[in-house]
Amino acid sequence: MRITSANAFETSLASLQRRQSQLGMLQQQMTSGKRVLRASDDPAAAAVAERAMAAKARAEAHMRSLDASRTSMQLTESTLGDSGELLQQARELLVSAGDGSYSDSDRAKIADQLRGLRNDLLTLANRTDGAGRYLFGGQGSATPPLRDSAAGVVYDGSAGQLNTTTGEISPLSTDGRATWLQAPDPSAPGSTVSVFDALDTAVKGLLTTGQTGAQIGQLVATGIGQIGAAQDNLSSWRARAGQALTRADAIEGRLSQAKIDTEAERSGAVDLDMVAAISDYQNQQTGYDAALKTYSMVQRMSLFDYLK
Amino acid sequence: MAAANLVTVGLKAMAASYAGLQTTGHNIANASVAGYSRQQAELATAKPEYSGSGYFGRGVDVTTVSRAHDEFLTREAASAQSLSAMDGARLNQLKKLENVFQPGAGGLGDAVTGLFGALVDLSTRPADLATRQVVLGRAGDLASRFSNAAATFDDIQSNVNGALQAQVADVNRLAQAVASANQRITAAQAAGQPPNDLLDERDRLIGELSGKVQTTRIAGTDGSISVFIGGGLRLVSGASAQPLQWVADSADPQRSAVVLKDSSGTTPLEGDSLGGGSIAGLLRFQNHDLVDGRNLVGQLAAAIGGAVNAQQLRGISLQQPLGSAATGPLFQMGSPQALPRSTNATSGTGAPLGSVALSISDPTALRASDYDLRESPSSPGSWQLTRLSDGVVTTVNSGDVVDGVQIDIVNAQPGDRFLLKPVGPAASGMARLLDDPLDLAAASALTATTPSSNAGTAVVTGLTLTASPLPFPGTSDTLSFAALVPPVGGNDFTYTSSLTGVSTPWHAGQPVVGGNGYSLTLTGVPANGDVLNVDPTPANALSSSNGNANAMLALRDAALANGHTATDAWSQALANVGVRVQSAQSAAEISSGVATQTEESRSAQSGVNLDEEASRLIQYQQSYQAAAKVLQVAQSIFDTLLQAAGR
Repeated sequence: MRITSANAFETSLASLQRRQSQLGMLQQQMTSGKRVLRASDDPAAAAVAERAMAAKARAEAHMRSLDASRTSMQLTESTLGDSGELLQQARELLVSAGDGSYSDSDRAKIADQLRGLRNDLLTLANRTDGAGRYLFGGQGSATPPLRDSAAGVVYDGSAGQLNTTTGEISPLSTDGRATWLQAPDPSAPGSTVSVFDALDTAVKGLLTTGQTGAQIGQLVATGIGQIGAAQDNLSSWRARAGQALTRADAIEGRLSQAKIDTEAERSGAVDLDMVAAISDYQNQQTGYDAALKTYSMVQRMSLFDYLK
Repeated sequence: MAAANLVTVGLKAMAASYAGLQTTGHNIANASVAGYSRQQAELATAKPEYSGSGYFGRGVDVTTVSRAHDEFLTREAASAQSLSAMDGARLNQLKKLENVFQPGAGGLGDAVTGLFGALVDLSTRPADLATRQVVLGRAGDLASRFSNAAATFDDIQSNVNGALQAQVADVNRLAQAVASANQRITAAQAAGQPPNDLLDERDRLIGELSGKVQTTRIAGTDGSISVFIGGGLRLVSGASAQPLQWVADSADPQRSAVVLKDSSGTTPLEGDSLGGGSIAGLLRFQNHDLVDGRNLVGQLAAAIGGAVNAQQLRGISLQQPLGSAATGPLFQMGSPQALPRSTNATSGTGAPLGSVALSISDPTALRASDYDLRESPSSPGSWQLTRLSDGVVTTVNSGDVVDGVQIDIVNAQPGDRFLLKPVGPAASGMARLLDDPLDLAAASALTATTPSSNAGTAVVTGLTLTASPLPFPGTSDTLSFAALVPPVGGNDFTYTSSLTGVSTPWHAGQPVVGGNGYSLTLTGVPANGDVLNVDPTPANALSSSNGNANAMLALRDAALANGHTATDAWSQALANVGVRVQSAQSAAEISSGVATQTEESRSAQSGVNLDEEASRLIQYQQSYQAAAKVLQVAQSIFDTLLQAAGR
């Protein structure tokens, strides 16, 4: 085949440029650490990476909401633990009030202590999670959910609980009415006992003067029974919070595994294998070098050089 | 035999050698000129002279100067160049389009993920103003990325328009030049010898023309060449050229079209029938790739924006007075467009008589496509809708809903035709409408509770509003469950709404659809006689309620875009455009390889090799010297003769 001079120049120039652009592309990949910079570099891998990135971002967001749920449940658990202790104290006080040798004024003192415990409990029941949400606000309450009223403590929140999503449903709050005001009454199946009503009734009873020993005995027995029911109820809600915490640990395990997996998936799809890239680059460099050398040698040759 | 004959032989030989030297010199001078064909002085032995002792040669004649030219290879090279230019032009534009479909952190998908991430936080802390502000920020980011994408599409379109205008001007200039070359060639040819350099020039012009639009050529007997484009449209005939004209597309005035103007009027050039050339590449990109790209992004914008807006309007904001429904949607999107053809019937003032109004009824059913609406050719008076992405044809009447869009046809005239763009404009000017974080409707309008008297284990884990506004605003609904013994059709309960009195068969795992525009998800199983109360969310609970935030968040996993989640739809769009660029890239590589090869074959035949010319130079130099020697000998013979005669 005839080679024409102008075309020979064009062709070798074009192949030099091609080599140069390949080198440039490899260099871009190496500096960015990515094999896929544009979707067209590997459309399937780009789509895989895009889904993996979304999945990773989802796991991260879920971990944030899991933290919120966990904080709330930890506080709930410890609050209910504290409340249980306060109720135990109340129970012991009430037992001591049954002592036949006590006078009305002794019982009044105990009533005073009981009232203090009751108010402490109300404070605990209206605790927040530190971010303004009431632990026992149920499905939401803008004000302290358990409120003193003429008819005793009433519930201002909305029954039920708030949930957030962490891939599964995680609680953000606890139903304050069921926890504090609706302990199943063991003495009257089907009816319920309010922690505060029980204490209020006991306080009122102890403050009544001139009661017989039998009346006091009855008062103490009823009070202890009701406080016991409230204690059982609080423990069962405390156990639920503990359960939620255990579940949170399991969810966290799954989420962090998902984070690792999705990151690995993304990286596998679009990141650059640096070792392979470096060896590729050196290969290309050698090729470019050889191309330059042959170009300079071939293009230097001309018959005119020999016609002197 | 006269000595004069020898002088003639020597002179002719010198002239022939000189002609050889001159063409060689011309070749060397033009070695780098594009399209130049190597020339050669053609020599022939002169007619001999008869004498009694035989024929004596009378030397050599220069018959003509020919060019090394192969018609077939020249055509081949031009048509390969044509394909290569088409693929190259399309690839260049596709690369710009690909910038919109950016993977990773700068892309649209990332903005979608960002918004849903912020909604997770809103679900956790619905009352927190900072969290609400972040949601607004992410929503604004999403909207501006969409509107930037739309602006990039507009930029690309106006670039295409500009490029096509320039190409059309180039074609007209080249066609004119071919016509005038024709004229000069015809005149020169009449003198009897081929005007080689002019022929080269014309070939080069036609080659350049083929880079813009694929040509076919037919040679005339007078030496002129007629050039045809687009499967038989005459662009150049003899000494006259028909102009191409850039016009706005009759279906969509934003787009470009190219027409050929001749005595009979204008003929539009369809991108698909042009065969090759950069104009074909640009038109193909504009009419397919750019439209698809716009629709892919538009579908996402309309689906995400539409679904989030609908959910926002179902919720309760934190604005005072507490408890009123959200006042406004979160996003503004570009409205669907229905463009009348420029050929539609018009009134006296030139305004089209008929019109089509589009409204989106279900954003999640939208398709990434334009539609062609025209009177059915088979049954006049009824309308035929063609989905342009896949060619599916449906018959529609005014008011019908197709692919989530309601189509209202008003006063359309026979023969009218419309281009419908339900999603194409959606991303244009997409913006966040809400500025006050309190306006975000995180709270649910309704709250479901289970009374403690329930004996079963059923608990409400999710409440979604399905209607806006509510059928019975401010009203409570109680659902009472009754066991079905024995179960009927797999259902073992019925539930009855106190509001509507409607009883619905049910089994565990199914959603419970109540009488006040809501749907509940239950876990556990109710007992016979259990009830669920669904009440308007009390004012005190509104600031902590996250029901609507959870519902917005659920859109993340919902089939928003015609059966796919937003993330999936985006990934698919990304891959779709990536594959286009990738295949356009390999098409361009292949066709440019073919173009290089055919150009190599053409130039192997026609081009100048300097080594060859160097050896010719020596060859002709030597023959010139030899011829001069002949002349010298002839002269010395004369001298001898004269001396002898002079004695």
